Amino acid sequence: MGNKQTIFTAQQLFHRYRDLAPQLVPLDYTNHPDVKLPYELIGSMPELKDNPFRQRIAEVFSEDGEGNMTLDDFLDMFSVLSEMAPRDLKAYYAFKIYDFNNDDFICKSDLEKTLNKLTRNELTEDEVRMVCEKVIDEADLDNDGRLSLEDFQHMIVRAPDFLSTFHIRI
Amino acid sequence: MHRVYYRVHTTGHKEEEGGGHLWEKTVWTDETETYQNDGKKKVWRRRKTGHVWRQTTLSVTHGGGNVACTGIAARNFGGGVQSYFVFLRFLVVLNFVSFFLIAGFVLIPTFCLLEEIAQFSCFYSQPAKCNCILSWIFFSPLQGFMEYSYLFYGYYNITEMPNRDFFYNIPLAYILTAVFYFAFCLISRVAVATGSSTGVSSYSMIVFTGWDYSCLGDRATKLKQKNILYQLQVDLEEESRKRHKADLSTSKKVILYSLRVLMTFLSLGFIGGAFYGIYVTTQFSQVNDNRADEQGILGFIIQYLPSMVITAGNFVVPLLCDKIALVEQYFPSTTIILALLRAVFLRLVSLGVLLYTLWSQITCYPNELKGNCTLCGYNYKEFQCWETRVGQEMYKLTMFDLLITVAVFLLVEFPRRLVVDNCSCKPVQWVGRQEFVVPSNVLGLVYGQTVVWVGALFCPLLPAINTLKFVILFYCKKITLFQNCRPALRTFRSTTSTFFFLVVLLKLAVLIRPSYGCGPFHSSSTMWSTVPDSFNNLSNVTQEFLFFVGSQAFSIPLFALAMCVNSQYAICVMMTCILNSPYCAFHGVILCLSSPWQCGDVLCRSFSNCLWEKHCTAKSSA
Repeated sequence: MGNKQTIFTAQQLFHRYRDLAPQLVPLDYTNHPDVKLPYELIGSMPELKDNPFRQRIAEVFSEDGEGNMTLDDFLDMFSVLSEMAPRDLKAYYAFKIYDFNNDDFICKSDLEKTLNKLTRNELTEDEVRMVCEKVIDEADLDNDGRLSLEDFQHMIVRAPDFLSTFHIRI
Repeated sequence: MHRVYYRVHTTGHKEEEGGGHLWEKTVWTDETETYQNDGKKKVWRRRKTGHVWRQTTLSVTHGGGNVACTGIAARNFGGGVQSYFVFLRFLVVLNFVSFFLIAGFVLIPTFCLLEEIAQFSCFYSQPAKCNCILSWIFFSPLQGFMEYSYLFYGYYNITEMPNRDFFYNIPLAYILTAVFYFAFCLISRVAVATGSSTGVSSYSMIVFTGWDYSCLGDRATKLKQKNILYQLQVDLEEESRKRHKADLSTSKKVILYSLRVLMTFLSLGFIGGAFYGIYVTTQFSQVNDNRADEQGILGFIIQYLPSMVITAGNFVVPLLCDKIALVEQYFPSTTIILALLRAVFLRLVSLGVLLYTLWSQITCYPNELKGNCTLCGYNYKEFQCWETRVGQEMYKLTMFDLLITVAVFLLVEFPRRLVVDNCSCKPVQWVGRQEFVVPSNVLGLVYGQTVVWVGALFCPLLPAINTLKFVILFYCKKITLFQNCRPALRTFRSTTSTFFFLVVLLKLAVLIRPSYGCGPFHSSSTMWSTVPDSFNNLSNVTQEFLFFVGSQAFSIPLFALAMCVNSQYAICVMMTCILNSPYCAFHGVILCLSSPWQCGDVLCRSFSNCLWEKHCTAKSSA
């Protein structure tokens, strides 16, 4: 499809990072300066600004868990979301993104929040409840009423297009 | 033989205050949902259950091809739209190549040998009176100077060329070109497989892998969210319908089923009404053909009446069937399939009705031995050159289709978008922008291509015209998509099957005796008979060589080679050779079609179905 240059280099990513706030980010990184860009700048990137999960993505990949990202976090984020990342790594980070309360389990409330973000709050409460029940019913293998990382990975293995949907082009 | 049942389950031990307990959870089983009716438990077992088609998109994969401009469409609007444009592009290429084939073998030799034409008594009426462009496109092919021109069959009437160093058998070239054109289309369709991208679309799949992170832009994001919303709602609705169905009392069930039967008859009635309308208007149009000399609006209406009725039917009847579907209350998945089946049936069979009407008029069916048909075997008074008339009908269909598309594009879609964007009152916003519905558009493409296939034998330039038409269509649809449309919320699946029409066409070509007064076959008894005649005229050596090529001694090693090459199409052709020699096989099919009562439909049907449908349908590639 035209020229599909999706293998981006760290150099390109650095310049994208710097373009968000040129006055904050120095050109010279040899002294490992401690620069963090606030979430508002990250969330305004064109690749992320319409994504309903952008806040969770930024929180998952940032050191402080608040969405303020250093250059390393930024590089990590786009390399996991690129084509080259292996399936297990993507599944791990996808799990963390959908785990809103950071308790290493996707419970019913996490699912409800995910669902509302996916459908723009347009499902009724009954429908949300039914879908959450069905999801846990289908994916929960150890029968504890919530999804662990293993359950999630087991389900992802059966999804053929996970790799192509969990992917951001930059 | 033992039946095998499947069940995948996890077991574990749950710790609790008063001691633990063992739990067991079924992950997957081939039992369907069990619903209890009257205290009895029913268990149904699924077969081949890896394949849930609830989430399917219309996708057509084409071997090779680069679709740069539709890449953007795919990202913003979804995969179904991209496949529509891929298919359209493929059809443009197909028609263009066919035109080259026809031009090379029939057109150019006829053009070069023009001065040798012996004039036959084919009387055609006065040239066009009006010089404006519309008249030139719409009228002159029908009764003006273009009727007797390269456009139609009647012009190609060279049969002998004495006093030349070489002998170019125009009739043979004509029919072989047609045969190769059809074969080429069939081969190309082998490469184009209609597949569906299915996944196991359980709820967890939709929730966790449904979101496309590379979706850019506010509008595309909203669309994707609506898409997911719709999928979930459809799935939930199906579940609740299933539960409802189990809960229905017997009397309500009886009412529902009788209502469904009634609605089926009603929809068949609508479709039948459309067919009757086509039949009546075609007869009217043919009978009044000589009186439609005027070039004004009235003449236009009379000439194009069948096309108008067909187009109107294709638009109105699906709308009515949609309303009927509301009453029938099938599952949403069933409703979609049913709507699509009805639309396909309507379109293709209405074309068949048109052809049947023409045939019955040309051969004075059912009074074949009376009146005008006794002398020539066809109605020579009204149809001096029946092939040209059939070609004209197909030409009219094609041009009217193009006219309607351009008119709708200019007069409906652009204003609709302007109104919706600038006026924010409630009813207008509820109507909303035009939705680009992929299945009906693809159906339109298939229908247009079928018309061209039917008409190509009688109107050799029709593929070239169709190429232009599809190019115009491509740009119109592209502009519409990006400027005027919001993408369709629903995704469908559809299959196309047009082999039926090639069989009908061959029947037409062979059953009716070619016109005495025009065309390259005026001296043969059937169109196909030129091929055996020429074959017999070849030298003995050539004949034996051809028989050898078709025989088993040659084809079996070729088959082995084809297996190594692992080409599905080659295997299919080799199987034809092994069953019978290819020339004989094809000859047999033609003979079978020309005398159906003797040969029996079974042979033809099994031959065509078995070989072309089962073995030649390529699997959809990822």
